[in-house]
Amino acid sequence: MSAHRSVYRKNVKVAERKGAGGWLAERLSSLVLVPLTLWALWSAAMIAGTGYEGALDWFVQPLNAWLLAATWLVTLWHMNMGITVIVEDYIHKRSTLGLLLGLNTLLCLSLAVIGLLFITRLALGSDPLPAGFGV
Amino acid sequence: MSEPLSGSPADQAGPPQFYTPQPNGRVRPTSPHLQIWRWHVTMLGSILHRITGSGLAGGVVLVALWLGALAFGPEAYETFVGLAGSPLGLIVWFALSLAGFYHLASGVRHLIWDTGAGLSPKGASTLTTITLVFAVVATLTFWGWLFASGKVTL
Repeated sequence: MSAHRSVYRKNVKVAERKGAGGWLAERLSSLVLVPLTLWALWSAAMIAGTGYEGALDWFVQPLNAWLLAATWLVTLWHMNMGITVIVEDYIHKRSTLGLLLGLNTLLCLSLAVIGLLFITRLALGSDPLPAGFGV
Repeated sequence: MSEPLSGSPADQAGPPQFYTPQPNGRVRPTSPHLQIWRWHVTMLGSILHRITGSGLAGGVVLVALWLGALAFGPEAYETFVGLAGSPLGLIVWFALSLAGFYHLASGVRHLIWDTGAGLSPKGASTLTTITLVFAVVATLTFWGWLFASGKVTL
């Protein structure tokens, strides 16, 4: 707000901060999530009722593990943007706003890392945690 | 702030409850409130989009727990499936699938609007009604299939 110098390109003022990037990211993630969500619902139905062994068998298929990893990351990216919009709409106190937005990103990043760790181990057929941590 | 306060409630033609002092001290007409707003389906669609989105964030945490239970071995997985497959657990998954189907369809609705199509009042309402009906029908079909094929039992 203070030291922003306006940048012009072809006589049109270029956005000073995030511009259209956020808008595009919301649309792009939504678009990608349409087929991925339908696939995830189908997969959930395939895994339901097959027990521990059935779920492990599903993960050993490389395509399943890769698609799930992609779904997981895009979902968390989309979720992070969604929660951000809600927080920005209802929280007006600067300090609370910053804190909640930070927690949101921390939550999404942690879920992304933890989820990918689990997915990787299941895809590789690693021994159950925590005993298999050294594998 | 040199200008004197203008438009005190007494000066206004309408009843005083329709006027609100603004932060700058001026008195201005109050904007219409939710209680007197005529409900329309796009309003419901918008509110539901936000509510279901928030609920699905909770669903993401549950999926993380499922992945963790599976990665921690058979006993952990059995505990998770026991809870997830209990009547209460199934109600939670049912609600999440309804939220998921709605948020998905509603998201597609927004993508259609983003192309500039379906933005007339009538078109927007029709599209929203389709979204709501799809969510209910898809959820019931999904669960009907799960129960009929014996993948899920009570």
